[in-house]
Amino acid sequence: MEPSPLAPLEHFLPQVWFFILGLFLFLYILLDGFDLGIGILSLTSSNERRRNILMTSLGNVWDANETWLVLMGGSLFGAFPLAYATILNALYLPAVIMVVGLILRAVSFEFRENANNKRVWNLAFGIGSFLAALGQGFAVGTVFEGIKVDAAGHFAGGIWDWLTWHSLLVALTLIQGYVLIGSTYLIYKTTGELQQTHYRTATIAAWTTFIGAVLITITAPIFHEQLRAQLFQPPLFYIFAAIPLLGVLLIFLLLRSLQKREEVMPLVWTFLLFLLSFIGLGFVIFPNIIPPSVTIYEASASPSAQVFMLIFVAFLIPIMLAYNLYNYLVFRGKVVA
Amino acid sequence: MALESLDTVVLSRWQFALTAIFHMLWPVLTTGMSIYLVVIEGLWLKTKNLTYYHHARFWSKLYILNFGIGVASGLPMAFQFGLNWAPFSESVGDFFGTLLGFEATMAFMLEASFLGIMIFGWQRVPPVMHWISTICVAFGANLSTFWILSANSWLQTPTGGVFVEGKFRVQDYFQAIANPFMVKSFAHMFFATLETSLFVIGGISAWYLLQNRLPNFFTKSLKVVLVMALVIAPLQVFVGHLSAEQVYHYQPAKLAAMEALWETVPAGTPADWSVIALPNEAAETNTFEVKIPALLSYLLALRPKLDTPILGLKEWAPSDRPHLVGLIYYSFRLMVAIGLYLAALAIVTIFVWWRTGLEGDRLRNYQWLWWGWIFAGPLGYLAVEAGWIVRCVGRQPWIVYGQLRTAEAASDLPPQVVLFSLSGLVALYTIFFFAALFFGSRIIQKGPNVALPIPGQANAEELEIRIKLAQHQPDRRPLDI
Repeated sequence: MEPSPLAPLEHFLPQVWFFILGLFLFLYILLDGFDLGIGILSLTSSNERRRNILMTSLGNVWDANETWLVLMGGSLFGAFPLAYATILNALYLPAVIMVVGLILRAVSFEFRENANNKRVWNLAFGIGSFLAALGQGFAVGTVFEGIKVDAAGHFAGGIWDWLTWHSLLVALTLIQGYVLIGSTYLIYKTTGELQQTHYRTATIAAWTTFIGAVLITITAPIFHEQLRAQLFQPPLFYIFAAIPLLGVLLIFLLLRSLQKREEVMPLVWTFLLFLLSFIGLGFVIFPNIIPPSVTIYEASASPSAQVFMLIFVAFLIPIMLAYNLYNYLVFRGKVVA
Repeated sequence: MALESLDTVVLSRWQFALTAIFHMLWPVLTTGMSIYLVVIEGLWLKTKNLTYYHHARFWSKLYILNFGIGVASGLPMAFQFGLNWAPFSESVGDFFGTLLGFEATMAFMLEASFLGIMIFGWQRVPPVMHWISTICVAFGANLSTFWILSANSWLQTPTGGVFVEGKFRVQDYFQAIANPFMVKSFAHMFFATLETSLFVIGGISAWYLLQNRLPNFFTKSLKVVLVMALVIAPLQVFVGHLSAEQVYHYQPAKLAAMEALWETVPAGTPADWSVIALPNEAAETNTFEVKIPALLSYLLALRPKLDTPILGLKEWAPSDRPHLVGLIYYSFRLMVAIGLYLAALAIVTIFVWWRTGLEGDRLRNYQWLWWGWIFAGPLGYLAVEAGWIVRCVGRQPWIVYGQLRTAEAASDLPPQVVLFSLSGLVALYTIFFFAALFFGSRIIQKGPNVALPIPGQANAEELEIRIKLAQHQPDRRPLDI
């Protein structure tokens, strides 16, 4: 290959793209997170009126929220084709579970609107949400744990590699996290009896998420040799000491705001908790994109491709954020019966 | 090994074909209908005639149903390049992935974000803002068509770079995006979505007319459809012709399959057009055939004899030419026949409009015409699917024409795993297809609510339908409830 005029950028570009993908993924987990959480919570709704409110709170946003995932997939494909191919190969079954879940959820959302007998579609909506969250949880867990690859970076593991105790733990914790953010979103969007119910579900979910996070934090360095080596080196060590401490503080603030029956703050604390966990995950993975061995530099598309995409995408991100925000602004306020 | 990898390729191809065929049904309608909604809502703003507002509300119910299934079935489309076609993704990701990323960031996000306002925002934003949202939805949807068609056209005519050791290196992005197939293919698909939607709306309107249910209301939608269809349908026949011509120039093997042409027609001799044939791939000939002399020459060059030969399938080794010749041949003919039928229907109806003014009782004398429209409703879908079969089955054995073979592009997965996902999708799609038909026909049965007051006034229907989004904070705008 001839030397490219873009050579000085070869170090910088993959980092920018890692950040952009991180942003897309974070926005997805945050936004579709509360959608999926509400979907899972809808399984516990005691009557159709309550379920209606839950669904109405999602009506105008669910497809825009889900689009961040499509965006993530498309950008990963363009910016890191090797990672896109290898990770999806390794995650075939969790990805299928997730996709089936999302399909089920989206379709039952529309069918339910028109159905006389809503029970089937209610159930399909809840189960779809749960399956999507489960598939995503296993995917996150597996990426966190590492994917077996050969010298060329191609997937070299088995079809069941993703199914381990540790990825199951991550999956269950993610589901709890989604239920938590779904509950705090509902606290913000609803009133009365329904709001009281979700103060309760939020409190329970806060505790279960907390327990899950503690278990993950403790078990990760014990079971993963490479992670242990990485974690206990001086510069990162302080960061990894700080993250759990901040996490405990946030959980405390969250539980207190729930106890004080605040309406907006639980959502804010949950948001910060998600951000903190996500940054922690980013630190563990960086500079790899297929942990534990393929770096963002090795999996990158050519610099010209990354520059070309960057020119457009960097310009579009503020626009996308603006009209998403506008959408939330138009539909601000409480959903009431 | 050989047998196992063959099975995986076949299953992955089936999965892709099935996902694409099912997915396409929904965006075809929403993409085209979005333009119709922009027109009808614009007419409302311009004329203040409440009927147009009721039209916008009624047709957008069908829109949202289709949109939901479109999003849902689009997800496996977005992910299966990595799941089932990992070597392909790695080889052409630099370019192909970039375009899919563009489709998501530029087009789909725009459509999905403004859809919320378009469907639920009638009481929340001023009418002009609502119209702008509808325009954003329509623009986003059609921009999606542009990026998808650019990406697919690149698979047909890959330009703008070179393949080095099996990996595509882009030299000029704009040349790759504007590859030789792009302009005509996009135009063909753009018109296809619009035409399909127009005839669906027209077909449903005709169904109401036939029952004499709200005749004034539905002659209105039919008139808007007619004006648009009269331009679009003949234009589509012409653009379709241009598309076939570009196949002749760039993909001679596909053209030979479309025509079931086994022997080369040398330059200077007339080429016949075959109407019916029974292609026999084993014997490399057609066991039965009816031809119109010299018509193919006229179609391709408006001359009785061509300057360049038309290559027959035998010019390629069996492993280098498309299989399923019969499928390609008949899909092509089906698409052409439907295109001609729809154009003819639009023209005939214009004569009836001219004779009757499309008003009142005189319409009832034209039952045959309304049946012709009802019949036309599903035909657009058939034509679109048939066209894509010609386009993508005809491209085989290549995934990137002349560069990368489909068989080399599939992920090395255990066949049972692909079978598992394939059967899961088949089961879900079957249920969704029938459920969508059921709920779609229920929306049509129920009909439009012509009593709906204009936005901003007390809204009887919404009150009846239970839940309202109300302002929590005191708000100066009129209360929804």
